[in-house]
Formats: sequence, structure tokens, C-alpha cells
Amino acid sequence: MTRAARSQPLGGRTLVLWIAGAALAFLALFYAITLVLRQMPDPIGPRADLFVEGARITLQLTVVSGLIGLIIGVIAGIQKTSSVWLVRAPASAFIWLIRGTPLLIQILFVYNALPPILKSIGLNVQLNEFWSAVIALALNVGAYNAEVIRAGILAIPRGQTEAARSLGLSGGQTMRTVVLPQALRIVVPPLVNNLVALLKDSSLASAIALLELSLAGQRVSSESFMPVPVLTTVGAVYLALTTVMTLFTDQLERRVKIASR
Amino acid sequence: MKKVMLTIAALSLLATSAQARTWADIKKAGTIKIATEGAFPPFNLLKGKELTGFEVDLANALAKQMGLKVVWVTQPFDNLLIGLQQDRYDFVIASHGITPERLKAVDFSSPHYCTGGAIVTRPGGPMTAAALNSKSVAVQVGTTYLENVRKVPGVKDVKTFPKDTDAQAALMSGRVDAWVGDKFTGLDLVKAQKGKVVQGELLFKERIGMAVKKGNSTLLKELNGALAKAISNGTYAKISQQYFGTDVRCK
Repeated sequence: MTRAARSQPLGGRTLVLWIAGAALAFLALFYAITLVLRQMPDPIGPRADLFVEGARITLQLTVVSGLIGLIIGVIAGIQKTSSVWLVRAPASAFIWLIRGTPLLIQILFVYNALPPILKSIGLNVQLNEFWSAVIALALNVGAYNAEVIRAGILAIPRGQTEAARSLGLSGGQTMRTVVLPQALRIVVPPLVNNLVALLKDSSLASAIALLELSLAGQRVSSESFMPVPVLTTVGAVYLALTTVMTLFTDQLERRVKIASR
Repeated sequence: MKKVMLTIAALSLLATSAQARTWADIKKAGTIKIATEGAFPPFNLLKGKELTGFEVDLANALAKQMGLKVVWVTQPFDNLLIGLQQDRYDFVIASHGITPERLKAVDFSSPHYCTGGAIVTRPGGPMTAAALNSKSVAVQVGTTYLENVRKVPGVKDVKTFPKDTDAQAALMSGRVDAWVGDKFTGLDLVKAQKGKVVQGELLFKERIGMAVKKGNSTLLKELNGALAKAISNGTYAKISQQYFGTDVRCK
């Protein structure tokens, strides 16, 4: 890659390439995990596919709730920087509620308590395990993302906003074209941090019988009574997932950093 | 690859090298540590802080016959036998069906009751193994119910919950079509829920035993002796009558 190409801002095409690269890398990873685990002795080898299936669910859970959590985080983060109390209050209440309660309770709440509550107000929805976990995880990571994005917005010097406004841009335009693009570059590392934490936190979804990686391990461990190889394997697969993930987010970080110079 | 396997093998050895307390050790200490789950009515159930149930009363009676004080430990079901291998307690009484897989890991006493895995469903739901075709079933993780439901052909989805009570909750809230669990626990649930659920046929029969660490033959012999004595002197029948109104011993 040449210097000139590097100094280009992150365009739509590079982003598509980046996503395609990440998708390919994870496909290759799953293929590699399947091959390696099948070679392992009992109790891992015969149940390799269960671990791979669990890892797939874990990744799906992370990607889907990570994306929704990003949107929630951006909206709540911008709301929190508003000077209008009525705009700020709901976001503050949401962050207070989510950050102040354990994720496990949130997952159990969405799965067990939300359906009867919705029913009592006339909404008859039956949330399955996957979507219950997605809702809880997305809200949770969204609250943490909101604080990160708020900090990013506050890190942009006031002069930037003042200059934009005096050039005739509206408040919304200033946020969209001047403040947010700069703020999002600052917040990429902490957002990545939240995403990696999310991948690991998704193990709590095992409490609602979603067959992700850690429940797959629990099943094998309770069938074979061999916790050492099972927990080692589960830990190694989590590590492989987060390693591939950070390989790509490091790329992203490097690119946005150079582009901002 | 080979190195990884060797390391894992070495770690497994490390994890199992500790010594279980023999009968002589326990007798000398005067107390026995017994583990159960505490979430499996009417066999073992935590009512607030108090541990109750058929198996709890039975184990207390056995310990009394052996002249020992009891320290109870409660653990998640799928952890119970793993903790036993690590000598966290002397034996486990938690409705473990005696299966070949479990016999590879632990030793079992002679069965302290006989039961079976029954289908429980909402009225109109699947009552037989054949009717489970293309239905979703809830079971507790690490149980014989899970293994046996897997053997039923055509079951659409087997959901594993950490606790039996969670699996029952999934049935009550309509997330699954059936729950498969112990016959007696099922009868209890049917009674408690008055008409909301019904019990179907037995999926399989099983013998339930107490587990000791593999090779702890002295303790196993004492336990079997105490159980035989409780059965012959009427203690067993009394406790069984109290919980089930019938004698649940293996015939």
C-alpha cells in the first residue's frame, strides 16, 4: 500500500472491502477451528461441531447486537450533549438504568419478564432466546457506547462548532459534517474495546438456554465430567474469535488515525 | 498439536490427583460433606435457607445411622459430579440416573429410588414419544433427560436450561411444546399448576443412585450398608410415604 493511498480518508469502497475481508477471515477461522477440534481426543473431537456451532452463534450475537448497540450509542450519546434538558433526560435515565444493573439480570429480564409485561399492555410478542439476548446485549453495549461517544463529541474543541456556525451551517449540519466525523475517529479505540467486551459478555446468554459457545462447553463438560480440556478449548476459541476481531479493528484504527492527520 | 494434547492431558492429571476421604477419614472427622442441587422438588429443594426433600431427609437419616454430622453443599447440577472428582464433598445425592457415561466418571451406590423420565405438556400438547415429532422440548443441561430426548427421532429442537425450574418456566410461558423431566417432579408440577399442564407417557425408566468418587470403595460400602439398613428397619418407607404417599424403592 502506498503512502498516497493511506492518506485517503476511509471511503465507502474501502469499508466494503474491509467488511468482506473480515467476513472471509471469520469463515477461514471457523474452517480452521473445525479442522483442529476434530483432531482432538475425547471429549472434544467427537463434539467438535457443537463447539463450532456455539462459536458461530456467539459471533452472530456479537455482530448483530454490536451494530444495534452502535446506533443506540450514537443516538443516546448525541442526546446527552444536548443543551435541552428534555432531550438529555431520557438518555441519562437509560444510561443510569443500564450501567447500574448487571447484564445477567438484564438478559433474564428481557427473556422472562418482558413478554408478560408486553402482554399486559396488549402486545403479544414471543421473544426467542436469540433475540432476547440481542435486545439485552444491544441495550447494554449501547449505554456504554453512548458515554464513549459523548466523550468524543466533547473532545472536539468548541472553536470548531463556533466556526461552523459562523459560516452559516445549521446545528444539525455542524454535528453531521464537522463534529461527528472527528469525534468518531477519536472514539474508535474505546468502541472496539466495548465490542471485544461484548463478545465475551455474550457468554451470559447461556443462562437463557441459547446454545452459544459457553453453553456448548457446559453441555460437553456435564456429559464428560472433564472440565479441564473443555474449559481450555472454550477459552481458546473465544481467544481466537477476539484475536481475529482485533486484527481487523486495528486496521480500522490505523486508517482513521492517518486519515485525520 | 501433539504438545497441546500433552499439556491438556497433564492438566487433567493434575486436576484429579487429589485423594478422596476414605470411610476411616470421615469416621475420624465425625462429619460428612454431602452435595445436592437444591432445585429439584420434591427430592431436594431449598426453601429459603432450609434444604428439604426426600433425598435430603434420606441422606440425613443415613448419616445419623452412620453416627455422623452432616454438612450440606448445594451446587448447580452440572457441577455436582465435577466437584465430587475434586473432593469438594464426600458424596452426591441429587437424583443422578445411573448411566454408562456417568459410571466412567464416578461410582454409584445401590439405587435409592426408581423413577423415569416423563413428558409434561400443556393440555392438548404432545403426550407420547411419537407426538414429540417436530416439537420443541425443554430439558435441564447435563441430565439423562437430555440424552434420552436426543434419541427420540424427529424432535425439532432440544433446549437446555441451567435448572429444571427454568425448563418448566419455558413450558409454562409457551416457549416450548413439552418439558421432559423426572416422573415425580412432573406430578408435583401438575399438582401445583392445577390444570395448566398435564403429564404424558414415560419416555424411559431409570435407577437413581448416590455418587462417590471413583475408587472410594470404603465409603461406598458404608453407604450401601446404611441404605440397606434404612430399608429394612422402616426408616426409608416412612420418608417415602411422607413425600410420595407410596414406596418409591426399586422393585
